[in-house]
Amino acid sequence: MADIVMEAVAEIRRIVQEELEFEGVVEPTHDLLRDLHLDSLGLTVLAVGLENRFRVLLSEEDAQGVHTVEDLARLVAARVAAAKPDVGAHP
Amino acid sequence: MPSTTRHDPAPSPSLSAVGRALPPHYASQEQLIAALRDLWATKHFNLERLEDLHRNVQVGGRHLALPLEQYPALATFQQRNDAWIRVATELSEGVARQALERAGLTPRDVDHVFFVTVTGIATPSVDARLVNRMGFRDDVKRTPIFGLGCVAGAAGLARASDYLRAFPKQTALLIATELCSLTLQREDLSIPNIIASGLFGDGAACVVLRGAEARATGPRVVGSRSVFYPDTERVMGWDVVDTGFKVVLSAKVPQLVKEHIRGNVDGFLAEHGLTRKDVKHWVAHTGGPKVLEGFESALELEPGALERSWKSLKQVGNLSSASVLFVLGETLEEAGAQPGDWGVVMAMGPGFCAEMVLVRW
Repeated sequence: MADIVMEAVAEIRRIVQEELEFEGVVEPTHDLLRDLHLDSLGLTVLAVGLENRFRVLLSEEDAQGVHTVEDLARLVAARVAAAKPDVGAHP
Repeated sequence: MPSTTRHDPAPSPSLSAVGRALPPHYASQEQLIAALRDLWATKHFNLERLEDLHRNVQVGGRHLALPLEQYPALATFQQRNDAWIRVATELSEGVARQALERAGLTPRDVDHVFFVTVTGIATPSVDARLVNRMGFRDDVKRTPIFGLGCVAGAAGLARASDYLRAFPKQTALLIATELCSLTLQREDLSIPNIIASGLFGDGAACVVLRGAEARATGPRVVGSRSVFYPDTERVMGWDVVDTGFKVVLSAKVPQLVKEHIRGNVDGFLAEHGLTRKDVKHWVAHTGGPKVLEGFESALELEPGALERSWKSLKQVGNLSSASVLFVLGETLEEAGAQPGDWGVVMAMGPGFCAEMVLVRW
């Protein structure tokens, strides 16, 4: 799970910098709205990018309580884990 | 400074007639989603999210330059632009003839043709091709304008009116022709492009404007105001790529409307001794649901004030520069405006910028 969180952070960083043309560093503690200045279109681009990369679905309900880059990365990791319930059980 | 003020004696040109034309090929939003779904699936995992993006723009369907099944074969910029030149010229001729007929004029009565577009390029420009096809005089002046985007309908009215203040006996045509469907980059599966493919449609409009000394009927263009928002170049526009025009679209558009349009409109009206309460007819560019909601809230408009813009958006989508002229045409024909009524035509576009035009019946 921790690996997926780190992968998700890296993917968020890539999308925000490359696709959304954000000029600056992207840290796990950064607030998506306040620090990265994401608007509704930016958040949609980010959600779609993460869905494509990790093959998971993210809903608006999921987004409740998501404020920072790390919150979002943990949500993605949780969805990945839920989609593969056997991972870890049979190493 | 504004083009005119309440103290400016420059005579006001009139809006004699507006022609409007849509290509014959129509596709409902669900037909378009079905046609694009397989393409989206080559990259995207959550197709329902993309379908929702297409439905959220509240457009029921679009008229298209070509039959839907012909689009996949358009692989190169040249193929798309060749189709654009052919269809844009046909549509522009039709709409110009329609507008002139409504004004009781012929091509030989026209002194200046302003042609605006942002969806294709041609040299000689489409207006030159119309001179040959329609029989304009050989001394007709032509001003093709490329790149203003959605604001060009309102800005075109303003620039044509500026011209007619200098030549008050003359007649000008403003033709706005946009074939947004022919700019679609099929290989661009970015979210801005998917939203644009759900919002923009094809169409053309033509306004006949006549100088004050032509003594024509129709509401008068009393003044206009351009507004440029500094350092907003990435809010909207094209990245010109090997395959054509790749859309740049930011969600900051409605935000800019909400932040600025009230101050812009109030300042403009104050130059003419007016306030928003004096304006009876609002003619707004159909930028999209959030843009129209931004106009309504920022300007504190009465419910239904932008009904024609909402209706046009739902019926034919955002026609870029032609949109506001479609709404203007509907207003001229249906609003039941009385002599003395004030109206404001307003649009925004790449720059980012806005144009406001004050009209009096």
